[in-house]
Amino acid sequence: MQLTEKVLNEMNEVIDDCLADEPPYCQARCPLDIDVQGYITLIRDGKYKEAIRLIREKTIFPGVLGRVCAHPCEEECKRGELEEALSIKNLKRFAADMADDPADWDLSRKAETGKKVAVIGAGPSGAVAAYHLQKEGHQVSIYEKLPEVGGMLRFGIPAYRLPHDIIDYEYSILDKLGVETHLNTEVGKDIEFAQLKEDFDAVYVAAGAHKGIMIPIDGADLDGVLIGADFLRDAALGNEVEMGKKIVVIGGGNVAMDVARTAWRLGAEEINVACLESGNQIPAHSWEIEDAEEEGIIMNPGWGPKEIMGEDKVEGISFKKCEQVFDNEGNFNPAYCEETIRELEADTVIFAIGQRAEDSFVEAEDVELNETDEITLQSETENVFVGGDCKGTPLLAVEAMSHGRKAAISIDRYLKDEDLFENRENEGAYESKLEKEIDPEEPVRRRVDMRMIDVEERKNNFDEVELGFNIAEAKGEALRCLECECKECIKDCLMLEKYCDSPKALFQEVKDVGIDPLVYYSCNMCSQCTLVCPKEFELKDRFMDLRKLAVKENNGESPIKGHKAIKWHQRLGFSKFFTTSQPASDKEEDSK
Amino acid sequence: MKAKTKTKRVFIPGCSLSSYNPELVEKTIKYLKNKLPGTGAILKCCGKPTKALGQYDEFKERYAGLQKEIDALGADEIIVACQSCYLTMSASSPEQNVRSLWALMPEIGMPEGTVGKAKDSDITFGVHDSCSTRDRDDIHEGIRWIIEQLGYNTEEPPHTKGDTRCCGFGGMVVPANPDLAQQIMEKRTDEFETDYLVTYCAACRASMYKGGKKAVHILDLIFGDVWTSESDFPDLEGSVASWVNRYKTKKKIQEVLS
Ligand SMILES: Cc1cc2nc3c(=O)[nH]c(=O)nc-3n(C[C@H](O)[C@H](O)[C@H](O)COP(=O)(O)OP(=O)(O)OC[C@H]3O[C@@H](n4cnc5c(N)ncnc54)[C@H](O)[C@@H]3O)c2cc1C
Ligand code: SF4
Ligand code: SF4
Ligand code: SF4
Repeated sequence: MQLTEKVLNEMNEVIDDCLADEPPYCQARCPLDIDVQGYITLIRDGKYKEAIRLIREKTIFPGVLGRVCAHPCEEECKRGELEEALSIKNLKRFAADMADDPADWDLSRKAETGKKVAVIGAGPSGAVAAYHLQKEGHQVSIYEKLPEVGGMLRFGIPAYRLPHDIIDYEYSILDKLGVETHLNTEVGKDIEFAQLKEDFDAVYVAAGAHKGIMIPIDGADLDGVLIGADFLRDAALGNEVEMGKKIVVIGGGNVAMDVARTAWRLGAEEINVACLESGNQIPAHSWEIEDAEEEGIIMNPGWGPKEIMGEDKVEGISFKKCEQVFDNEGNFNPAYCEETIRELEADTVIFAIGQRAEDSFVEAEDVELNETDEITLQSETENVFVGGDCKGTPLLAVEAMSHGRKAAISIDRYLKDEDLFENRENEGAYESKLEKEIDPEEPVRRRVDMRMIDVEERKNNFDEVELGFNIAEAKGEALRCLECECKECIKDCLMLEKYCDSPKALFQEVKDVGIDPLVYYSCNMCSQCTLVCPKEFELKDRFMDLRKLAVKENNGESPIKGHKAIKWHQRLGFSKFFTTSQPASDKEEDSK
Repeated sequence: MKAKTKTKRVFIPGCSLSSYNPELVEKTIKYLKNKLPGTGAILKCCGKPTKALGQYDEFKERYAGLQKEIDALGADEIIVACQSCYLTMSASSPEQNVRSLWALMPEIGMPEGTVGKAKDSDITFGVHDSCSTRDRDDIHEGIRWIIEQLGYNTEEPPHTKGDTRCCGFGGMVVPANPDLAQQIMEKRTDEFETDYLVTYCAACRASMYKGGKKAVHILDLIFGDVWTSESDFPDLEGSVASWVNRYKTKKKIQEVLS
């Protein structure tokens, strides 16, 4: 069918703006674009194998993310407007617990390209990049300074939140794909960065941020002052940690909570956490704080460290009241009341106020870790790419993984001499354009809580605290999903339901190959679709356009067989025999 | 003897109503004549079916034929009893004021002897609105006013008035895709608890009947006997019967307005 420009333009509007394929809020917010709704409904239907397969299409870390992902998706979950967001993270863990099986892993690879890529750092960002690049047929070698893989998943996040066997299990896919991992190999010491740049076609720098930040206050050099990142690493490695019984942790983020809870497990008797922020400004997630408080950790919000006291060893620490953390412009600019002072007795002070990247290994090079391109992660040196925590901003694990995928796409294109910038708008998190309204009849369903081991049983060990969902819990939770999508028109129209997956796809088909006239001659012209469409598309007018064109191309007649009779009805309906035209008459009426 | 009254307005009953029941057309004209002297009538198709098929050139020709008749009578107002006619004529006869009988009745009052006649009926009628005039609140309100005046109980389906669902007949889908149309009809009738439906379009009535309900036209309620669970409800008129009815309608119109 020959489409006129006007008809085409109006149709293109639907093709461009129809929301049928717009992902739900959760998925749009996921930096890895995981089909949340998809796996939740599969879990609801008891299809656990399919659920884990779907998750694995987007991540090799379902068990890791199912335990420690900071789940930004849940902040956007539509259900949150009703009572509480879906437990998206915990359902992911459930799928992994129930059905993940290495025998099902997709270990296929594209044909060898002969290209070699080096990845610095076996943290989540490096691992994800290595995975994708290896699948693309390149040969990847990972260089890792520490004796084990995982980066901060293992050496930051404590094992009671993420058991090490889960990390090893999920990392094993790299081995299976043929990625070479060189442990205990520090770039800058055991092997030079310049060498990697030389020997490999491309390098991905994903060295994380491991250098703990200190504040230069009096007493910071005393015995018993520790750095959070080192403390956690030592604990993870099983090294002896020199720690007393009365601990003060400085910092209010998630790392501070992990430090405090680790200290508690290692035998500390009194643990105070002090931070500048108070109320909902405290950077740690509310659930991290709750879990810490359950273990007896004492929060001291609104206090800034003034001085660490003691002769050679720490004996205590004093604080000044913090009255402002950020100024009016939103910049970090703390202000204190120097008169309001508080002291805490302590034998150990642990700083957990942030980590920086150790970038000495690139110092001699033309690479500025925090000045790489945002869209491609490419550095000024063409074949060097940088992502994850070492790029300068502390990330969530899932964001570091998303960087890994982004870097892999860039490197793959770079190795194939393709455009690095094309078509990259929707990588990572973005805002869903859906305009879903919650059905007012939707019943309230409480979020299913995760069961945990008793507090007493957590002491002196690093056993996993969260127990995971059982089938009933998972099903109950999955049932809460509102299955956010548009397709409002299809829910309200049998014709659309019968003939298309979405108006967008249907009109695309009209353009590409044409459709059976029966489709546009099956529209009731009732406007029901327009009524429910957030874009108020007049689909009936689009179908009428097609009818008109069809008639034009068919000698003025409808191409539909069943319409032949109408022609005769019309002739009769206009014939003298069946028509009349009567002027008014005021002849008296017999009946009223 | 033909009286010399000026034809101020013209009642156009439309094809589907005329094919359905000539007596109802007759009684409506008598009623209008009584309440609004100066009302003529035209029985002629407006050509909408051609428009629905996409035959716009043919439609223009057809409608011009009707317009000629309206102009010849000198009417400056058109009264319609069909929502499809309402839309078509509103759009195509800019010189005439097009009114729906259902919005007009509350203004001019019920026919004599009809108010309260059905207050003892044991039937609850579900009201099915036509989708073509979904944005005409005055029509929705008029219909409810009429039924209330008569005294019947009513049921509103989940989708009603501005949000009504198509009966399945619209867009000439029945001849094109009868199976789909049947499903749409059933989807619509499924929305009602009651077995008895009232429509204000003869085509909608036929659809509701095919959807498995006992269905009447609102003029059946106004001019017919009081409907109860004992009544015989109308079924579908065949094609031949339809044309016979149309012919009868023509004769009745000529009789009443002679
Ligand atoms: C204590 C703590 C708790 C956290 N909790 C959570 C949480 O609950 N949820 C969440 O989403 N995120 C959490 N995060 C953040 C998350 O762990 C990180 O964002 C993520 O691990 C960063 O990944 P990455 O690959 O960029 O870096 P890393 O994980 O830091 O990995 C970098 C790797 O590079 C190696 N490396 C460094 N320099 C060299 C070198 N010169 N040569 C060779 N190898 C080198 C390091 O040893 C390390 O293994 C937490 C972070 C910390 C510190
Ligand atoms: S209700 Fe379901 S589909 Fe909607 S945002 Fe939440 S998890 Fe996603
Ligand atoms: S209602 Fe239908 S046509 Fe409108 S945006 Fe949604 S899917 Fe597209
Ligand atoms: S106008 Fe057509 S496409 Fe839209 S709801 Fe009615 S029948 Fe379906």
